[in-house]
Amino acid sequence: MNRSSAPNAPALQPAEEIKRLQRCINDLVSVLALPAMWTGSEPSHIARTLLDSLLGILRLDLVYIRLKEAVTEAPIEMVRLAESGPLPEDPVAIGEVISRCLGDDPRQWSGPVRCPLGDGMLSLVPLRLGLYGEMGMMAAGSWRADFPGQTDMLLLSVAANQAVIGLQEARLLAEQKRVAGELDQRVAERTRALAAANEELSRSEARKDAILSSALDCIVTMDHEGRITEFNPAAEHTFGYRRDAVLGRQLADVIIPSSLREQHHRGFARYLTTGEARVLGRRVELTAMRADGSEFPVELTITRIPMDGPPSFTGYLRDITERKRSEEALRRSEASLVEAQRLSSTGTFSWRVATDDFTWSEQTYRIFELDPAVPVTLDLLGSRLHPEDMPSFQQMLDRQRDEGGDFEHEHRLQMPDRSVRYLHLVAHATRDREGQLKYIGWVQDVTERRLAEAALGKARADLAHVARVSSLGALTASIAHEVNQPLSGIITNAGTCLRMLAADPPNLDGASETARRILRDGHRATEVITRLRALFSRRQAAVEAVDLNEATQEVIALSLSELQRNRVVLRSEFADDLPPVTGDRVQLQQVILNLLLNASDAMSGVSDRPRELVIRTEPDERDGVRVSIRDAGIGMEPPEMDRLFEPFYTTKPGGMGIGLSVSRSIIESHNGRLWAAPNDGPGATFAFSIPGGAGPES
Amino acid sequence: MSAGRKLVSVVDDDESVRESLPDLLREFGFDAEAFPSAEDFLASDALNRTKCLILDIAMPGMSGPDLQRELTRRGTNLPIVFITAQDDGSIRNSLLAKGASDVLFKPFGDAALRDALDAALRR
Repeated sequence: MNRSSAPNAPALQPAEEIKRLQRCINDLVSVLALPAMWTGSEPSHIARTLLDSLLGILRLDLVYIRLKEAVTEAPIEMVRLAESGPLPEDPVAIGEVISRCLGDDPRQWSGPVRCPLGDGMLSLVPLRLGLYGEMGMMAAGSWRADFPGQTDMLLLSVAANQAVIGLQEARLLAEQKRVAGELDQRVAERTRALAAANEELSRSEARKDAILSSALDCIVTMDHEGRITEFNPAAEHTFGYRRDAVLGRQLADVIIPSSLREQHHRGFARYLTTGEARVLGRRVELTAMRADGSEFPVELTITRIPMDGPPSFTGYLRDITERKRSEEALRRSEASLVEAQRLSSTGTFSWRVATDDFTWSEQTYRIFELDPAVPVTLDLLGSRLHPEDMPSFQQMLDRQRDEGGDFEHEHRLQMPDRSVRYLHLVAHATRDREGQLKYIGWVQDVTERRLAEAALGKARADLAHVARVSSLGALTASIAHEVNQPLSGIITNAGTCLRMLAADPPNLDGASETARRILRDGHRATEVITRLRALFSRRQAAVEAVDLNEATQEVIALSLSELQRNRVVLRSEFADDLPPVTGDRVQLQQVILNLLLNASDAMSGVSDRPRELVIRTEPDERDGVRVSIRDAGIGMEPPEMDRLFEPFYTTKPGGMGIGLSVSRSIIESHNGRLWAAPNDGPGATFAFSIPGGAGPES
Repeated sequence: MSAGRKLVSVVDDDESVRESLPDLLREFGFDAEAFPSAEDFLASDALNRTKCLILDIAMPGMSGPDLQRELTRRGTNLPIVFITAQDDGSIRNSLLAKGASDVLFKPFGDAALRDALDAALRR
């Protein structure tokens, strides 16, 4: 205060001094009150009210403020002039003048300067805002010569300080506002993001719902306490529960049969305490329970839902009743295939030709009596092959390696105990992806069949024998005639011979002649007996070349007197160029005899026409021989003809009905054919044909 | 063919019978002729001279019994001894009932034949 009582200041009266001091105090109070007005205001508003207040309080002619750029605001330059002044209110122009007067460095400013402005000299007081003017500057000017007085300087410096406080507050506020704005913005952004996330979430929820409701699998989710948190429509349908009814309930109580519940609890508890899971992430099959208590097989996959917090789980369940049933059916079908292979003694095999890899079914191993663990090789196969069948088997292998077509083959096995098995194999040729030849086929143990066929052959031979004996029985009279005729000659001649020798003189020439006749008739009788013995003998079928003309002639010789007795007129027409057939002579003669006697019997009741019987041999169209026997008998209707060849069918009283059926089986065993046909005229024709050179089946 | 000897005719389709039987009949003291069929015998002049006929039963064409019926029909009273290689008793009875003198089954001995001829010629 003392310093400010400048010597040049006029001395005042004490009353005036008191008034001045009072005014100063008032002004000071006004200035000090400014920050209260500025609360919440912006710097520009602070600057403006500050300038207006100072202009009025200090009766200044000019007051100027320049605020530096701050974070939140652009630089502010503002000027206020007394109303009566000559200066234009142009802050920029005035600012330039002031800067020129004061210099650019606020730290150099020391006090009031005189500054030429317009037409006059302005007393100008520079004021730093902030300690180093970092906030800006202010300048107060007056044309008055006594400016600035002590109270002016006091008021101005207080005002500058107040301004700094106010501006700092404003700036702080602005900064707060900016931060708050930023926060708001961040909050808004975050809110937007959240909204988007929510939307995404709800879309994903919707998607989850869609998946849950349309999934074919049952989807059941469970929280860490084992409570059901989701139960999709497939689960509702499968288990027979409404979703609402099971949410929140213990999963174990709802879908796990009581017998398995304990196990489930243990496993769940173990997982929660140790994290060890036996079912997690794996596909397991177990038994589930429906609302009605019925149990059914399910396939279950449990995954842990990847979320923070207590674990929760999703279970995917599928009712596999059908699959189980199919599997069971498949298993049964496989089992029955194995059984079928066993029962039918049929095994399967494959043969990869390039590598000679063989694959055998269980039954094939069984047929060969080999250990299924041993891989099949050609050597192993060879060890079981019957030695006699080895060449043909090797031939078959060689042929099939080259030809690559389907084939059938029959061969025998010789087992370690020397027993023999008959195998029939059928194979189908295929090519694999690389074009390699591979055979797939089946092999059947036909031993039983072959043995049965052999037994059948023997039975047939026995039956043929019976038939022969029975047909020869019909020939008894004829045979007696055939034998008795020469015997009769022998006896008669012997009697004559004795008488001639006993005469006196003995008739030696006559005796010689009769003895010669005895010899001839003796040979004749022997021939008959030999022929009969051949026909009566029980023997296995023989295979030889047979001249059917000769064989037929012998049969005719045996039965001629029988035919004669029946008044049958026999005409034979034998072809000259008949090829021989291969077969059993006696069996074929039996057939001819049978047909001959049948023809004779068929005519026994005929008296209105000759009982003509034509027996004919001729080559047939297929290099074979046909023998036909045509009668003029009662004939027969086609339906009857069909039955003729049935065993035990007979039209004759006292007939056994095996003649024709045995005859047919004999001819068929010679690969031939036996048939009957009605004649154009009366009677019927029976005929058989046998291919040339073909032998009978063994 | 000596005079005073009785003619015995043989009808049989078997050649060995036709060969051997006449020689034996001649040794017995008969005259003998042989024919291969009934038709041949009927056509011959031996029919009227024959005192006894030895006749086979089964022959092609006319059989022995057929010839017997024919002779009966013609009113001749020729004794007939049937011979047959077929051992059938029913035929024997039926032929005897129709007037046959005897039926011999082949083979027969010379004594049996002699007895049968003697008996036939006594009728």
